[in-house]
Amino acid sequence: MVHVYNCHPFAAQRIVSAEQEPGLVCCGGGALFVVSAGGCKIEAFDLQREESPVICRFSCAGTVLSLQHSAVGDYLVTIEEKNNATYLRAYTNWRYQAVEKTRVGVRLLGHLLRGSSFRGAPKEQMEIIEIPLFEPPLCVACCSLTGDLLVGSAKSLVVFSLKRQTLSEQLSVLDFERVLILHIQGWSPSQVAFCAGYLALQTELEVLVIKLVQQQKSAQTAEENALLPVDIMVETSLEDDAEMKKDGFSPLHEQEDFFVFPKHQEMLGSEAQHCGITLVPECTAMDSESRGETTVVYVLFRRFAPDFFQGCSVEETRLHSLQLHPIFTGKQEESSISRCGDPDCMFVFFSLPNTGYMYSLKSSVELVSTYQYPEKAHQAVLSDQFLYVITRNALQCFTVRCSAVAARVQDPYIDTTMKACPPFSMEVCALRIQLFIGLKVLCQDGDHIVLLTAADVDSKENTERPARKNTEWREHRALTGILLAVGLDATSAPTLESLLSKSFLSRKSSVCKSTEAPDSAHGWNLYVISSVSTLQLYREIVEYSKRYEQSNPCSQSCVHLLSEAHLLLRSALLKLQNGPAEEKQELLEAFQESCAHLGDCFSRFDKKDCHLALPYYKMSGLTVTDVIQRNVSMSGVSSGYGRGFIFFLKHSLYEETVEELSKDVADKVLEIFSVAEPAQLPHVVCCSSMLNADPDGAGALLEQLEASGAPSITLALCRASLALRTGDRHTYSQQMERHAEMLQVYGFIEEPRLLLHGRGVGLMPTLLAQQLRDSQDGLLVAALVALHENSRISLEDAHLFFQELCKDRLEPDSSPQLLVDFWESLLVASSRESTIQELLFRLVSVYISRITCSHPSGCKALKTADDLINSCSHYGMLYPWVSILTPNLYHDQQEDLLKLQSLLCGPTLQVSSILPLLEPLSDSDDPGLSVHVLCSTKLGQHEDSIHRLLDRCPQAIIPYAQHQLHHHTLCLWWQKLFPEVCDRIRKTGNDNTILLSALKETLIVAARELTPLEFLDLLPDDGTAHFFLPHLLECCQ
Amino acid sequence: MSSKSSLLKVILLGDGGVGKSSLMNRYVTNKFDAHLFHTIGVEFLNKDLEVDGRTVTLQIWDTAGQERFRSLRTPFYRGSDCCLLTFSVDDSQSFHNLVNWKKEFIYYADVKEPESFPFVVLGNKLDVSERQVSSEEAQEWCMESGGYPYFETSAKDATNVAVAFEEAVRRVLSLEDRHEHLIPTDTVNLHRKPRSATQCC
Ligand SMILES: Nc1nc2c(ncn2[C@@H]2O[C@H](COP(=O)(O)OP(=O)(O)OP(=O)(O)O)[C@@H](O)[C@H]2O)c(=O)[nH]1
Ligand SMILES: [Mg+2]
Repeated sequence: MVHVYNCHPFAAQRIVSAEQEPGLVCCGGGALFVVSAGGCKIEAFDLQREESPVICRFSCAGTVLSLQHSAVGDYLVTIEEKNNATYLRAYTNWRYQAVEKTRVGVRLLGHLLRGSSFRGAPKEQMEIIEIPLFEPPLCVACCSLTGDLLVGSAKSLVVFSLKRQTLSEQLSVLDFERVLILHIQGWSPSQVAFCAGYLALQTELEVLVIKLVQQQKSAQTAEENALLPVDIMVETSLEDDAEMKKDGFSPLHEQEDFFVFPKHQEMLGSEAQHCGITLVPECTAMDSESRGETTVVYVLFRRFAPDFFQGCSVEETRLHSLQLHPIFTGKQEESSISRCGDPDCMFVFFSLPNTGYMYSLKSSVELVSTYQYPEKAHQAVLSDQFLYVITRNALQCFTVRCSAVAARVQDPYIDTTMKACPPFSMEVCALRIQLFIGLKVLCQDGDHIVLLTAADVDSKENTERPARKNTEWREHRALTGILLAVGLDATSAPTLESLLSKSFLSRKSSVCKSTEAPDSAHGWNLYVISSVSTLQLYREIVEYSKRYEQSNPCSQSCVHLLSEAHLLLRSALLKLQNGPAEEKQELLEAFQESCAHLGDCFSRFDKKDCHLALPYYKMSGLTVTDVIQRNVSMSGVSSGYGRGFIFFLKHSLYEETVEELSKDVADKVLEIFSVAEPAQLPHVVCCSSMLNADPDGAGALLEQLEASGAPSITLALCRASLALRTGDRHTYSQQMERHAEMLQVYGFIEEPRLLLHGRGVGLMPTLLAQQLRDSQDGLLVAALVALHENSRISLEDAHLFFQELCKDRLEPDSSPQLLVDFWESLLVASSRESTIQELLFRLVSVYISRITCSHPSGCKALKTADDLINSCSHYGMLYPWVSILTPNLYHDQQEDLLKLQSLLCGPTLQVSSILPLLEPLSDSDDPGLSVHVLCSTKLGQHEDSIHRLLDRCPQAIIPYAQHQLHHHTLCLWWQKLFPEVCDRIRKTGNDNTILLSALKETLIVAARELTPLEFLDLLPDDGTAHFFLPHLLECCQ
Repeated sequence: MSSKSSLLKVILLGDGGVGKSSLMNRYVTNKFDAHLFHTIGVEFLNKDLEVDGRTVTLQIWDTAGQERFRSLRTPFYRGSDCCLLTFSVDDSQSFHNLVNWKKEFIYYADVKEPESFPFVVLGNKLDVSERQVSSEEAQEWCMESGGYPYFETSAKDATNVAVAFEEAVRRVLSLEDRHEHLIPTDTVNLHRKPRSATQCC
């Protein structure tokens, strides 16, 4: 079904006073070109000025068969015929023809007459460049971005690139260079389009789109091909073609001998290479060496079949209005300014008499829109914002989806909860159907549309005034029929009535008096129709949508119209990327407003797409308070709040991006949820933006909710936290005592906002968290551990949380005890390796700083060293020698020292990672020594440890050796320990009992492990025999 | 109204300096410049006129006569309806070169039947007193070459200029009429509005 609205995209029409009956018409660069019916004269009119005055008139060198204007280079290109020969000519500097009877220069492509070799005085005159071709040209197209030309002939397509040579400051001349020939076999397009390397080719029933891609020449193929003449290359590729057939591909164009009903076909992307049309590129550019090889990439193939059984002929199914349309999104800044880079989007449009098709060609090739015309269309023109179509008696203005496609290319956040844009698959509609009698030609340039109307010769009498009314009535009846045919009931649509009964244009223009005169004098008219500004049309559509809204707040037509209006603004913004800031600002404001309208619409919705309220409101720049107020006032009209609104509210509140709501608004939010979704109340109450809500009212709502049987843990915690706000200690304790701490932890996982608000820098502990800090720190730590383990909070955020929570406490070191408690508890609970290493590092650093710091912290830890050793595998049992080194004397730091020693005795801590932390820790006292020796031991530096222990605490040396020296370190007993002990006894004298007993222990081990000979070798020369002898005997046994 | 009858391409050929550009200027703008630059390449001007009740657009193609511009002018001979071979009566060399000009034209214009192609010969600078080519001499060459009409003109004082161009038009039209007579189905007689005639300048 086609929506037909009655908007006013056209501002005014005026009549262009052409001298002779126009034959061909085209526009571009703000000018309208009219070829007289005879075909040899062109009149150029200025479209930008009110009365469209003549810019100039000039003659062509032959009868013009086809005419195009290129904005780049401001030249006209024609296919002309003279004495049965066809010519391709470019008319440059045509504006100089304003002075009539000036000579027109003519030259061949490539011959720059005014170059330095010919010293003619540079003249400001029109110049025709004749472009020679091997075959007569059939069709031609200009690239709107480069001014390059594509010419179609029977067997080939030729690409000419536009060259500009500057002769002096004012004067530059244009020229063309033939850069590429594409040889085609047995298929010749009747219409071509060309843009940014894309070529669209059209025959009566087929469309092929290809892209030319420049590839760096691979050295080998370049050499191979260089030896072959072009025609041979063509042949080889034909053989390739034959190969393809054998492989099961059936080229469509091989079936000329027998009659096959052609089938409908659509081939997208590389699939299109099997369409059977072969294009062989031959590079002819001067710098072809450096250009590299041009390859043809197939993009799209479409074939239509006339419905012979329905009595349709090819005639009635013929394609027309082929067009390529580029769009820049400004994503790549420079390219969009110069407009010469690769466009971000490319569209192709083509049309059957009854249906138009628009495909998107970039990224993925897909059909974007199908246009069902109410009656047979003669011609269609695609612009950034509209598709204009002429039928015999109407100008139709359809909406397009270019900006919807472009938006998605431009902004990856579209179609997320952040941003939205109407889908490009949204049905297109006709904004207007405007009656004209006898439409023949349509063209468009900027904000102007040009129409040529002509009465059919034999029906000329009918157009005379008495018969006029009758004709119009007939047209109306025909139109009504058409609208019915496309699914529109003309009688039920109120707008249609006015569409059918009124004159369509607000004929404000000054020319309106003259409309009768030329009309009756000759059978043709040339109209220039100007478009209204985007903002004006936008406003009209918004107004229009309100009519639908009034009859049904959830009307699809309303959303549709608002979406169309939104897309119009988007496309205007795309066009205006580098435009004046003021105009842009106006459009941006309208854009935000349109987002707000769409947000309103979707917020009323109950099912489909209601979630879109969120992104649209976000884009609207409205505050949540604004949105709430809009919806509250809307809900007065209808009943209740839509799901979209609730969805928006929920997300905004929970994302914590919302401003702090005033008491009234916050209370309103509670009221809304108590009606719409009471189960959300505990969560809503906990939101940071809801702090101003009345706690008593909220408490009452929660009580009701509980009475209705809602799960109670989170509810109880909520009520406790509300009670805290009012200072109601009694209710607080009552609610807190209702559930065991274990269960309360679950409550906090369900709603972390009970404890903390915001994220990152703005993270704030709640009143409840503060209360727990003072009264139930174990619960608080357990809750935070649970939040971390459930990915509700990061280690960093927890750090910030505790720091914020404890910032008023007088704790000397940087890590408050609660934070250390949290880390220790988390270490017990966590199983993630990266978290464990991170925690170990943090804890070691805290322990060390506390051991070094002389003043005790004074805070009691939640967990003692014993607790940790018993509950956590990362804390190891202390080695026996460690206890000898640091007997239980250091009360103040004992716990932290024990924990550190225990970690060092445990299996997990990687000593190498904490070495930098050890620097501040001196080994002058026993605690320091114990840590250093533990570390060097862990690192395998036993000799170092032995030295230190013998120096500082010899009584620990034997327990150390017994505990540490095994396996491959066993030899250290006699290689290191034995000589060291002997040495020291010698120095200190024989009465050192500690050393002597150490020596004895060492000898026992050595005697056990060594052979007698080795043992003998070991013994010192000055040793007393009776001391060593028993050990030697031991060894011998 | 076939394209042939509405737009007539007439090309001016002849040695550099014989007065081709001057003749065209005199005919179209009715002006004369005693110190004209040599033409570079090819230029044209249009003139609408009525001959024997038919409105035609005469498109006069002026070419550079100097030898060094040969490659710039020859591509545009194609499609000509009539060729004006021009010499200067005070320069016998320019007269003797006419035969070469004719050859060059026939070759590059790719004329199918050179015998029946309408050439018109112009002897310009009639106002100059020191003639080197006599009227009889010129007339004789025209007769021998295929019965071409011969006009003695002066761009300076406008003698015979309009007459010569109109004769060229008449030649083309009569030739066309003969063709139309032979193959009447070839051209379509489109509805011609009388208004357009009065509107044209
Ligand atoms: N006295 C006299 N001088 C003429 C006449 N026609 C042309 N001239 C002069 O002869 C010179 C050459 O004339 P042009 O019209 O430039 O000659 P052209 O044939 O166009 O020469 P190219 O452009 O070089 O081929 C100019 O100085 C003219 O003023 C004429 O009829 N009488
Ligand atoms: Mg000249």
